[in-house]
Formats: sequence, structure tokens, C-alpha cells
Amino acid sequence: MFKSPKSIVALTFAVSCAAGLVHAQDYQIGTPATALEIAGWDIDIRPDGKGLPVGSGNAIDGEEAYEMVCASCHGVFGEGEGRWPVLVGGEGTLADERPVKTVGSYWPYASTLFDYIRRAMPFTAPMSLSDQQVYDITAYVLYMNDIIEEDFELSQQNLAQIVMPNEDGFFVDDRPDVQNPRCMSDCADPDKLMMKGSLAGVTPIGHFVEGADAPAASHSGQHDLEASKEAERKAAITGEEPAVAEASEPAAMSAAAIAGESTYKAACGVCHTNGLAGAPKVGDASAWVERLQQGNDLLISHALQGFAGSTGYMPAKGGRADLSDEAVTNAVLFMVESQH
Amino acid sequence: MQDASEHLTTNDRRDFLRRGVSYVAGAAAVGGASIATASGLSANLPPNEPQWGRQLGTGVVENPYGLPSRHESQVVRRTVPWLTAESISSISMSPIQDLKGIITPNGLVFERYHAGVPDINPDEHRLMIHGLVDNPLIFTMEDLMRFPSVSEIKFIECPANGGMEWRGPQMEALQFTHGMLSCCEWTGVPLKVLLDAAGIQTEGKWILAEGADGAHMSRSIPIEKILDDTLVVYAQNGEMLRPEQGYPLRLLNPGWEGNTSIKWLRRIEVGDKPWHHREETSKYTDLMEDGRARRFTYVQECNSVITSPCPENPIRRKGFLEIEGLAWTGRGKIKGVDISFDGGVSWQPAQLKGLVLDKALTRFSLMTQWQGEPWLIQSRAYDDSGYVQPTLAQLREQRGVNSIYHKNSIHTWQVAPTGEVKNVQIT
Ligand code: HEC
Ligand code: HEC
Repeated sequence: MFKSPKSIVALTFAVSCAAGLVHAQDYQIGTPATALEIAGWDIDIRPDGKGLPVGSGNAIDGEEAYEMVCASCHGVFGEGEGRWPVLVGGEGTLADERPVKTVGSYWPYASTLFDYIRRAMPFTAPMSLSDQQVYDITAYVLYMNDIIEEDFELSQQNLAQIVMPNEDGFFVDDRPDVQNPRCMSDCADPDKLMMKGSLAGVTPIGHFVEGADAPAASHSGQHDLEASKEAERKAAITGEEPAVAEASEPAAMSAAAIAGESTYKAACGVCHTNGLAGAPKVGDASAWVERLQQGNDLLISHALQGFAGSTGYMPAKGGRADLSDEAVTNAVLFMVESQH
Repeated sequence: MQDASEHLTTNDRRDFLRRGVSYVAGAAAVGGASIATASGLSANLPPNEPQWGRQLGTGVVENPYGLPSRHESQVVRRTVPWLTAESISSISMSPIQDLKGIITPNGLVFERYHAGVPDINPDEHRLMIHGLVDNPLIFTMEDLMRFPSVSEIKFIECPANGGMEWRGPQMEALQFTHGMLSCCEWTGVPLKVLLDAAGIQTEGKWILAEGADGAHMSRSIPIEKILDDTLVVYAQNGEMLRPEQGYPLRLLNPGWEGNTSIKWLRRIEVGDKPWHHREETSKYTDLMEDGRARRFTYVQECNSVITSPCPENPIRRKGFLEIEGLAWTGRGKIKGVDISFDGGVSWQPAQLKGLVLDKALTRFSLMTQWQGEPWLIQSRAYDDSGYVQPTLAQLREQRGVNSIYHKNSIHTWQVAPTGEVKNVQIT
């Protein structure tokens, strides 16, 4: 039978409509993920040990690695530098007025520590540690928390058996836990109401209250504020005038220094821009005077190899082993030339 | 705590409210000034023809991507720097005191990063689905955008919103008390469609969602949520996601803790048990007074706050006043909001206005007059699950003051006779 073009159109339309209704599996969108692709990204570990890589490590080997790549922020004893997280201690404080939640006092599973260090630490260079290093450092953090012995060989086989002190300290969400009736009148005795006013001076409200005595509105402003208060405090004790950094015209930079700026921002600035973890702050003349006298070669080798000085730990390449020596050298030149 | 509190007898209350700066006096002066300008001080006011009416403005594509008026430069995200060690793992708040309606403009959505904002090339971004599925799959962005799309208006809130005030008020502005909150129209694909494509196995009860950024942020989500309403989204408010919001791809768990809506989403693994990762053990668990902690506290319970007046928006004129605010609930829809002017002794219903959507910000309003009376003004929302926003005293009694997260209690602003507004707590 002869079919008019019109009915062919109608037929095609009916087919495509039906296709729109078929089960999702038939979208045929996406590519099979290969075992190799999955293995590269499948980094998660579960409390039952599922996902742990082959290998083992111990606290003795972990100590040095921890001190080189973790201590600058978390403290040599896990006590936390400045506002960086504390990793050790706090046992028995969870019901206190001011609880201290750490790996030792709060975390329910050791697997979480391995998983987190591997996926996110060191902060400035995530996914840069080998499995061996993660086993060693995990063991060291557990050892600092008195959870395992110093010579315990932590491994793929035994990590899941480690019992954390607070494993039973959790329960599943049981909210709603309060019931407020929708009262409309005489809901409280007006003479028994207690009112508490806001603490003053802890919110940055300079944008709508002129002259408010408030903290700075940005992190770098806050660091400057804290540093100048600290300098004033010291000056008050020693009687010396606080050192004032002289503002001068920025000098022209070398090509290498200009090339180093992007590496600096991505890999070094987190510590050096605000002077965190004892890092000399770029632009802070007093923090650099003596360092600059050592000459660029030594500064560069300290940046490449890592350096434990009087103010903290400088991790080798800032913890970014993937950076080329040239990139790090240029970043140092950028830092040095920013001082002029 | 007792020392810093004040017993609010009627006399005390008057006395307390009498203190503070003379705001209304200031407002009167402003009024006076505008009369002066009408008499010719500003060349731009009637009867004069304003300057912008006597010359040409800028042409098309002067700003290929348009920007707000330069007179709106105060409407920006802000942070409280001492909350975190530095700005890379930190949080900023939306200026909800300045926003209208229920949609947060993309550049003002609050930020929370654990390792900064990654710069992701969408051509090289992949979403991998594997684990307890029949066909592990990898999707390109182009693949994902071939699926039929859905668009939904949903709020996102950080569970730490308000969390600085369990022990007492200390944030002197609405942006800081409630600004870890935003609401957008999100466009993407239901995650269940993608899981169907991969063929989820019957033992699959949980998924792990993971980001592609340096934090590789990960959270366990029960499968029931995914079958209900979890989306994988690539657009917000009509354009591709902002880098701050997960460009090119993020998860969206409507009504749940913001951190479960993993940004820069790269991987979904299906498993039979939760993973108990750092962001669901060390963080985002709620410590109770007895030292035990709630976990998997996903839902953002019903909450509300008055956005005008508020510390940033004092009352500037006596007479007619529209009180406005926002209400939201992770359990469904806002059913109603009540307002109290006397610190919670008596209440009256407000109107809901505009769209009232599931798990979206909902705006409420009450028309009134203000003649300089001191107010202790509060809002109390309730949702269609029957849940009524609680008082701070009720929450503290159940949970103590150390749980950090999920403080959704009734909020109080103290309005002084000057019109000035302060953050206070009533117990
Ligand atoms: C440059 C500073 C820095 C360095 C170096 C660093 N960390 Fe961290 N660490 C952080 C920050 C910041 C966080 C919190 C991140 C967040 O919450 O998003 C953190 C969090 C942690 C936590 C979780 C703490 C908690 O209670 O939840 C652990 C465990 C940890 N780091 C271990 C390590 C280890 C092990 C190393 C060395 C391999 C390391 N860190 C190196 C800054 C650093
Ligand atoms: C985790 C924080 C951290 C990061 C990241 C970091 N540094 Fe440092 N850096 C430090 C600390 C701390 C010191 C000071 C050590 C001391 O003198 O006690 C330092 C010192 C230095 C010095 C001076 C060394 C000397 O001999 O006085 C240079 C140069 C330097 N860093 C370069 C870099 C470069 C380049 C990068 C990025 C590739 C970088 N740093 C990343 C923490 C850091």
C-alpha cells in the first residue's frame, strides 16, 4: 500500500515518543569505566578495611615524615600551630564545657584517618604521599594518640581491627528531638524573660557601622591586625619601637621572578602570604632581612630540599614534590624580588 | 552566662531599650536634608533635569557580562576571618539582608571550600559511577547534558549557619547570623537516572559522592535520598555553575546539609554500607551534652529569620512598616510563619508571599505601624510535616551548647526606640 509522506512523519513521531518513555537504561549514554580508570580514582577506605591498599607502615618511620610535611601546621606533637587543627589529646573531654575533639578523643574509626590523609593532606599538596608514607604517618598519628605502640606494624590486614576510644560515642540522627507547640498568646511570663545582648567587637561590621571596633573583614587583614597587635605587645614589654615596614615603590622584576608568581600562588602563598605556620611573610622586611643575606643559592636549596629553621618547618618544595626545580627556583626569585 | 544576661522586667526593658544611639534623630536629619535638596542643593532633583538625562550613556556590550550598578557595591559576600586559619578552607556568607524575593544571584551564593576553588576544564571533567553497579560508567559533560534535564528551585544551607551562637549572641549582623544560606534554580539530571543507566545492584544501599578538588570532599548518602530527589546539576539560575559552586558539576541533595551537595563532583561509588569519612565523623556530627554525638544529621530543620528590620536594616521612619523575612525547611514546604513583637509572649500570623516551594526559601511579610516602641521581634516558622521552629532554650535543653551544627532556633532582634536593631537572645 502506498504511504503518504505525512503518515511516515506521523510514524517516526510515534517511535520517537515511545523512545522518550523507555526505561532509563536505554539512554545509551556514557562510556564503560575500565578497571584501570576505576583503580586510579577509587581512593576511599571503609571502617571494615575495604579499599586499603597493599602495604604497611609504622610510627618510627612515620615520625620523620610527619615532622617534615605535617608539623608546620599541626605542630610537632599534633598540638596544632595557631588555628590549624589539633590532632592529639582531648580524651575524656567530650562532655566538658570546652570539649577537645581530635583523632584520639573523637574519631570513631582508624580507617578515616588513613582515608583523609591520603585524599586531602598535606593541605598544600593533596594526593602527593605514597601509600607507604600514608601508612607510616597514620601509624605515627595513632601512636601520638596512644592508640598503638611505637613499633606496631600497621597494615592492610590489621588497620580495620584497631579500636578507637570513641567508637561507641555516636548514634544515628533521631531528630526531631524538640517539639514546640504553636502557642499564640501568653506563651511566656514577660517578667521572667532573660535577655542577653551581643558581644561587641567580634564581627566585621565596618560596612554599616562607621568606626565600629571590629576585626578585619578579610583573612589577610586579620593577620595584619593580629601581627600589629603582637608587635605592639612586644614593644610594650621591651620598650622598643615596633619595626615599621617602609613602603617603597615596587622594583621591576626579572623574567624568572615573573614566571614564578603562578607557582608561588598555587604552592607557596598559603603559608607565605599571611606568614602561617612560622613562614616568613612575603613583603615583611623584618622576616626576610637575615634570610636575604644568605644569598639566593642557599634560599633556593632550602626551598628545594626543605628546611627546619628557627621559626618552623619549610617542607621540601612546599610539599609539592611534583613541581620542577625550575618552577620552585622561580617562585623563590619571585618571593625575593617582592622584598625590594 | 547568668551575669551577662538581663532580667527583663518591664522597667528594665524600657531602661535597656532607652540606651543606644539616637537613630531616629539621625533619620530626621536625613529627612531635613532631602527637603534642602528639593530647594535646589542637588542639580539632579526635581524640578531640575538630572545630569543623566542630559547626556548619553554607555552602549551595548560595554559589559559583555553585565555587572550590578556601582551604587550597589556594598552588596557582597563577607566572611568572619577569625573563624578559620586562612581563606582557602573557609566560609563566606550571602548578604541576605540586601536580597529580594527568594533567588540568590549567582555571584552572591555563600562559599564554603575545603581546598579552595579548583579551575576545572569542563572538557577534561569526568563523572565516574562504579561499585555495586552492573555497568560502571564514565560520563563527559556532553554526555550528562544529553540526558533530559530538570530545573528546580532549592535552598542550600550550611549546617553551621548560626552555629557561632549556641552559647550566646556574638554576631552583630544578619549576614553573619544567617548568611550561610542561598537559594537558586538548579538544572541537571536526577542521580537515579544515572544510577539506572549503570544498573544499581540490589545490595547497593549507600553511595559515596566525591569531589575533584584538592580536598576530594566525600560524603555517604543513603540510597533512599537518591531515589527521592538527589540531582546532579550543571547549571544555576540559567547559566553554568559558578566555579565557587562546583563548576562544571555538583551534587544537590535538596533540604540536606550543604556539604552533602558535593561540588566539583567526579565520582559516585555505590556500596552496601556508609564510609564514615572525615566530613561525617570529625566534622558534621553533633556533640551532645553527655559527650555522645549524633551522626548523619542530614536534614536542615525548619528555620526562619526577619531580614527587615535587622542590624543592617534599621527602622528609619516612623509609620508604615513592612516586616519581611525568609523561612525554609528541609522537610518540605513552609506552611506558615508567626511574628512576635514582645520576645515570644504573644504571636500573630504573617503572610507568605510569592512562590511557596518544596525545600526553597519562602518569603514572609507582615504590614504594621511603628511609632518608636521598643520591640523584641521574632519569627517562628512551621512546615507541612507539622514541625514548629523551636526556641533556643528547647534546643539547649536537648543538646547542650557544643553541637555546633543545626541551630535553627527562633531568632530575636531588639528594636530600640531609635530604630536601631541589635542581635539578642531571649531565654
Ligand atoms: C599547610 C598546613 C597543613 C599541613 C602542612 C598539613 N595539614 Fe592537615 N590540615 C590542615 C587544615 C587547614 C585542615 C582542615 C581542613 C578542612 O577542614 O577543610 C587539616 C586537617 C587535618 C586533619 C583532620 C583534623 C580533624 O580533626 O578533622 C588531619 C588528620 C590532618 N590534617 C593530618 C595531616 C597530616 C598527617 C599532614 C601531613 C601529611 C598534614 N595534615 C599536613 C592544614 C595542614
Ligand atoms: C606549609 C607551609 C609552607 C609552604 C607551603 C611553603 N613554605 Fe616556605 N617556609 C615555610 C616555613 C615555616 C619557613 C621558615 C622556616 C624557618 O626558617 O624556620 C619557610 C621558609 C622559606 C624560605 C626561606 C628559607 C631560608 O633559608 O630562610 C624560602 C625561600 C621558602 N620558604 C620558599 C618557599 C617556596 C618557593 C614555596 C612554594 C614552592 C614554599 N616556601 C612553600 C613554610 C612553607
